[in-house]
Amino acid sequence: MAMKKNIEMFPRARIPYGTWGSSFFPAWQTSALAEVNIGQFAGEAMNRILGIRKVPKSELEYLIIGSTIPWHWKFWNAPLVASCLGHRISGFHMEQACATGLQAVLLAGAEVQSGSNDVAGVLTFDRTSDSPVGVFPERRAYERTMALSDVWDNFGFDPAAGHAMITTAGNAARKYRLDRKEVEELTFCRYQQYFDTKASGFLDRVLVPLEVLNVQGRFLGIIDDDVGVRKLTLDGLRQMRELDTCVTTGMQTHASDGMATLLVTTAEKAKELSPRPEVVIQFVAKAEVRTHPAMMPESPTLAVQKLLARTGLSMADMAVVKNHNPFAINDAIFAKVMEYDWREVNKTGCSLVWGHPQGPTLTRMLIEGLEEAVDLGGGLVLLFGCAAGDVGIAGLFRVTEGGESK
Amino acid sequence: MTKSIRQSTLQTLGLGSVTDVFRSGRLPVDTGDMVDRVFGGPGNRGSLVISGANGIVGAGKLMQLTSRLEPFGVRSVALSRARTADGIGPQYPGLVEALGKERADRIMANIVRVKYDGANVPEDLNKWQPRFLLEAIPEILEIKKAHYKIFRQAFPEIEIRSVTSGFPSSELGVGVMHPAFPHQTNKVWEIVEEDPSAVTQLLWALGLVPVPVSDDWSFVLDVLFCGVTLAGLRYHRVSNMPFWKIDKYVRKFVGPNPFRAHDVIGAKGANFLTWSCLRHLAEKYGGLFRPTPELDERQESGQNWYPPNHFRPLVNWRMNNEEEDEFLNWIQGALFQMTSLLLHEQRGHLSHINAIGELCAQFRRGILAVIRSLGTDAVIKRVEAYHKLYPEAGGSCWYPAVFEQLDSPEWQQLYVNAEHEGNVGVITISRETYNSDVDAELNRAIDWLKAEGIANVIVTGDFHLSTQMVGADTSEFYPALDDVEEGRRVAETWSVTARRLNDEFKVSVGFVNGKRCLGAFLELLTHCHYLVAVEDAVLGMPEVTLPVVPGMESCHWPFRKTDRTRWAKLIKLLLSGESVKAKDAVDWLIDYSGPMQDSLDTVWSLATNGGATGLPMRSLDEGVLEGIGADAGLEASDNPATEAARKAIMESVRSSCSVPLSEALDIQAKHSAGFTVTSYCREGSIGADRARTMLV
Repeated sequence: MAMKKNIEMFPRARIPYGTWGSSFFPAWQTSALAEVNIGQFAGEAMNRILGIRKVPKSELEYLIIGSTIPWHWKFWNAPLVASCLGHRISGFHMEQACATGLQAVLLAGAEVQSGSNDVAGVLTFDRTSDSPVGVFPERRAYERTMALSDVWDNFGFDPAAGHAMITTAGNAARKYRLDRKEVEELTFCRYQQYFDTKASGFLDRVLVPLEVLNVQGRFLGIIDDDVGVRKLTLDGLRQMRELDTCVTTGMQTHASDGMATLLVTTAEKAKELSPRPEVVIQFVAKAEVRTHPAMMPESPTLAVQKLLARTGLSMADMAVVKNHNPFAINDAIFAKVMEYDWREVNKTGCSLVWGHPQGPTLTRMLIEGLEEAVDLGGGLVLLFGCAAGDVGIAGLFRVTEGGESK
Repeated sequence: MTKSIRQSTLQTLGLGSVTDVFRSGRLPVDTGDMVDRVFGGPGNRGSLVISGANGIVGAGKLMQLTSRLEPFGVRSVALSRARTADGIGPQYPGLVEALGKERADRIMANIVRVKYDGANVPEDLNKWQPRFLLEAIPEILEIKKAHYKIFRQAFPEIEIRSVTSGFPSSELGVGVMHPAFPHQTNKVWEIVEEDPSAVTQLLWALGLVPVPVSDDWSFVLDVLFCGVTLAGLRYHRVSNMPFWKIDKYVRKFVGPNPFRAHDVIGAKGANFLTWSCLRHLAEKYGGLFRPTPELDERQESGQNWYPPNHFRPLVNWRMNNEEEDEFLNWIQGALFQMTSLLLHEQRGHLSHINAIGELCAQFRRGILAVIRSLGTDAVIKRVEAYHKLYPEAGGSCWYPAVFEQLDSPEWQQLYVNAEHEGNVGVITISRETYNSDVDAELNRAIDWLKAEGIANVIVTGDFHLSTQMVGADTSEFYPALDDVEEGRRVAETWSVTARRLNDEFKVSVGFVNGKRCLGAFLELLTHCHYLVAVEDAVLGMPEVTLPVVPGMESCHWPFRKTDRTRWAKLIKLLLSGESVKAKDAVDWLIDYSGPMQDSLDTVWSLATNGGATGLPMRSLDEGVLEGIGADAGLEASDNPATEAARKAIMESVRSSCSVPLSEALDIQAKHSAGFTVTSYCREGSIGADRARTMLV
């Protein structure tokens, strides 16, 4: 199929460069975020980030929030978070497990494309720490009433397929005959990429330190690091006990807490709000698939294949490739199937390393990918990942600087 | 003929000079006489009517005025529309707490509640003989005018004043008495009238603080308070900083918490009043005062500025030095420009403009005192920086020329005035807490009197803005909590000033004319050769309770003026922190106490005749004092900080008394400064205040 030039998914929508930001993602139960109403925190943090980015919050017309774990007063939805942000606007909440962080951005693009609003905020967040327990009357279950710990019980059991998340990783690893040694090397590379990026100062453009107050208004803690990320060694990885095929504690992600935000606007507003109006970020395409039961880690690769097929593009066209990888095998499968060097993926870090707060994961990865593209002078940013239910999602964005891209 | 550095604020009320008060031996007006003038004589006493009496302003002022007028047999009529929520009943617990149940019952029983339909004067109002109407109805001009009309038709002789916060008297057709929050206790009223009236002088006689201001859209308080609120809103719009955090920075740099204040007053009403005030000002003066969309929205919704308790703020905001400077451009720049308008239009006596911010809007220092300390160039630069951030303000009402007279007596003596009639000088202090501004102005006042050849001086309150002297402004000590040299500098500087009252006049007489004289002010006045207090005043040294060690020489100076048999009383005063009644302090702390008139006579007699009055001048022992005891008969405190302060105070007493007077000042300052940097002081009241105020 011939490459389709200048394909645009939402021609009216842009992501204004540099108006975004993410919190650090401390591992669950390691920071002050374990003690907050994450919806309130996210709203206040978004306001703070917009303030730092010199975007008056009064510019916001609409708010799309994304989170996957119930939080206190979630019923009140985006309007409540908007109130915590200090700006009484409307909006809605969406969730699609770990696809939330990308899907929310795409929905904001659709919102702007529809002409309903010119400036839509995207705010994704989750707190895996102390996740709530739901009590569900189930008359047809022999227990009659079931209690569900939202994070861990869901990780442990996909009611549609009957398996735990980790089982899908083992299944996929076996299907693609992955070599543990290569997955270990891939994992080690991912850690090196993260720490090299951190040392370079790149993350300072993405991550915003946030000080958290207790109920008395006094210092409770500061969220200024991806707490829980260890400097793993190759030897250390090799010595880890295998939990399933090619899955060890080092080769899978960990639960964490955090938020991330960006704006989607019209082209005119993007120029007005961005500190670098010459940088243009457009929506190109999206694809989504659902693979066979309990084969989740292959689904992102399938989504990318579908996206490439529909756009006529190839991996050679991509400037930046970012894969949400709760299991290192996700990257290994992608590299094997697509014949793509895994060293060229996730070059600034990834969720395998800095954790998995679900809702904001792909939003942070997108922001990192867009920043990486700007550093490269522009180009296509491919972002993809898996989500609960054996789903894969892929999104494609084009970054141009002064009207040109790589 | 009285000569003064600048006009006394008492004169703005038509009450003469402070020198006149002493010379005549009586206060300029008698409360009973003024009540007769306003409400008629005892046989024909009319009533006070407050309309809108269920509102925040009406109910508060009903309590304040009724508590003062009830003893004179003036009935209060509380007029309100049907179906308005009761604002009067909820005042009762506060009255009981402040005045006791018996007095509270009498006050409430003196109030007659009358409903009316808004269009007609109730028939049964006649029997109460309304003499004075204080209108506190909603801020809608036509409704107000119609209200006055029906009252004038029914009671042609009635005096009417409006509490309006925005409409000029010329629009209303009646005089203005604009009060300040909290209405039950704040004594200040901005007065708009051509000449001081009997009503205004009655307020003064009742112990309230009427302050004449000019007849313009919105008065000084509202320009400053609504102005600082608006400045905060403008910063919010560009920075996203939440209102609660802007409040903290405004409190740090200016003093008030404008957004919290709106919520406390009642956001629904307060938002509307601020919006209404700014809207009128913007119509007349332009963009400087234009309300922001946030205020437009909240005047309609009545929404609070702070989040509800269950959403107490989570994410903190901090500013670096550069950001703080920009913040000051937004806040001070706007306030300075607004002040230029107040000065250009000559809205009032400079001391009034300055004091209104402090007394009514929580300004830590009056706006003019701040401007004076910064200097003309810095102030103009700040406003110009504001105009760069907010160009719309640059095109309206900016009068930099008003800041070119900072050396004038009116600017230089905002808190301290001096006057004399040829022989006796009177220094008046209009600030209730002693700070470096007062200290500097006091020195200038002394210099002026000496240059005028005055040898005898009275030092007292101003009989107007300050109704008491509560001691040092403890915010002055914040830097001293970390810097022992700064503490020493403050103690030494202030003590040197106090000594001038002893050293540089033939006769100096301190006079406590208000409810209390505590701490630094008592230390100051004990340096006078004589100290006189009205009999119902209380005197005290509460430093130990903060805790701090007194720094203006009260650890040795009063001991040097008192017989050793009375030293135990001084030690108890210092170590207990408890106050004493003036009449119980005669002979060991002060020289005379009596009713106001007798006290005025005594002060004037001492100042004019010195020792010829029969009151011997207590001598000052300049040598080494021996035999200072330690037993004040106090039980040990279970508070370690109090015990530590007592120990430090006693060490200061012993050390500074064990040397000649010439060495004692340094020693006491050293002890005071040394204790201020201890954890007891840093974690005490002053440290807590500093943490709350300055460490945002």
